[in-house]
Amino acid sequence: MTTELKISEISANFAEGEQGKWGMAIDMDICTGCQACVAACAMENNVPFVGEADSGYGRSMHWIRTERFWEGEFPEIKMTPYQPVLCQQCGHAPCEPVCPAFATVHSQAEALNLQVYNRCVGTRYCANNCPYQVRSFNWRDYERPEPLPNQLNPDVTVRRRGVMEKCTFCIQRIHRAEDVAKSEGREVADGEFAPACAQACPADAIVFGRIDDPESAVSKMARGARGFHLLEELGTLPAVTYLKGG
Amino acid sequence: MVNRLFSWLNDPLGRIGVLIAFLTLFSGAAFGLYQTQTAPEQPLEFPHGLHVGLNVQCLYCHPGAYRQASAGLPTETKCWGCHQQLSAVQTEEQWQARPELVKLRNYVMNNEPIPWVPVAQVPDFVHFNHRPHIAAGLNCENCHGNMSDPKFTVAQNPQVLNMGWCLECHRTRTEDNTQNNPNGDPAVSATLNEKRIKLLDCGTCHY
Repeated sequence: MTTELKISEISANFAEGEQGKWGMAIDMDICTGCQACVAACAMENNVPFVGEADSGYGRSMHWIRTERFWEGEFPEIKMTPYQPVLCQQCGHAPCEPVCPAFATVHSQAEALNLQVYNRCVGTRYCANNCPYQVRSFNWRDYERPEPLPNQLNPDVTVRRRGVMEKCTFCIQRIHRAEDVAKSEGREVADGEFAPACAQACPADAIVFGRIDDPESAVSKMARGARGFHLLEELGTLPAVTYLKGG
Repeated sequence: MVNRLFSWLNDPLGRIGVLIAFLTLFSGAAFGLYQTQTAPEQPLEFPHGLHVGLNVQCLYCHPGAYRQASAGLPTETKCWGCHQQLSAVQTEEQWQARPELVKLRNYVMNNEPIPWVPVAQVPDFVHFNHRPHIAAGLNCENCHGNMSDPKFTVAQNPQVLNMGWCLECHRTRTEDNTQNNPNGDPAVSATLNEKRIKLLDCGTCHY
């Protein structure tokens, strides 16, 4: 008698992660691949520039990247639509159980995957276990030539060498919005704030909001027929929904 | 072989050498530890005890605590707002008798900012916000100590500001017990539990 579990049964064991709090919908049909989200993310989150040499070793650091693939055999290739890929903030994340230092933990309050920089010892196990390849590792203390240090965001930690980092859904903006809303005695309104990528997107292809609220813009988009999740068959329960095929 | 390598330990001089090396390392470590626990030198010896004793509210000079993350350190113009009254009534000899106020006057006259050294600081990977703490009804002295004590000149931390100390307070204030929820009201329990999840979450302070 084998005790093999099907993916759906494993997910059932992790029911608490099933309903996320914050979510994102990315419309690949209107994304133009302009990389504004990539630049905005690096500015907002103090993501360093690794330079040409380290980039050649595959050590480039981005919290969001735009992907596209070839479809078909060489002469008759077709480009797939641009696809911005960021941390999917999985409800059932493969990166979390493998960390020996408990540096990548699931936030119960915000339903996000956290990276606690001061706990991280740099085993890089989480990045190796991430099916979306969205985690980046600080191989060095990358230098920021003057006057670049002046544009560092004080609300975000400047990571040091030897720690893993990844997209946080701009948790500093979430906290700020929640703080402002609380000081005014109300709830955070839908669309009141957005992460840097969604704010910078000139085509408004990235929509951010509460996925536990069925009336929010992101929930309505995610429910549509065009929606799908990246590598859905893995059962990671991503909070990011992609829309394609309109 | 190993015996021969450590044979110098049998020599009294060798043992004294080991003792000296140990004492040097130990005293160095102790001094380093002491340095982290003493208040840094400030540009002027500000008497907190005197000002609080004169009923100046904390929020008058550190108004940021009421509405934002950082409480803020007062600029020289804020000090001068009150202290310029003195220049109307004091003679130059009276000024010279109070050297700290002369320093303040120099800053104001030269239009230079006072380079205060922040004392209550958290590391870069911790994001502390004053506003929710004040909004939760905490008083400044709960964390910063009793500043009306006349021995307080330069601000000193009454305790080490570390994570265990933060979490201790977050835990006790959100525990569902007779103190926080005397009537056992389920609605209060739910609020306490929601707060507890938020206040014990890594992502609340570390990002």
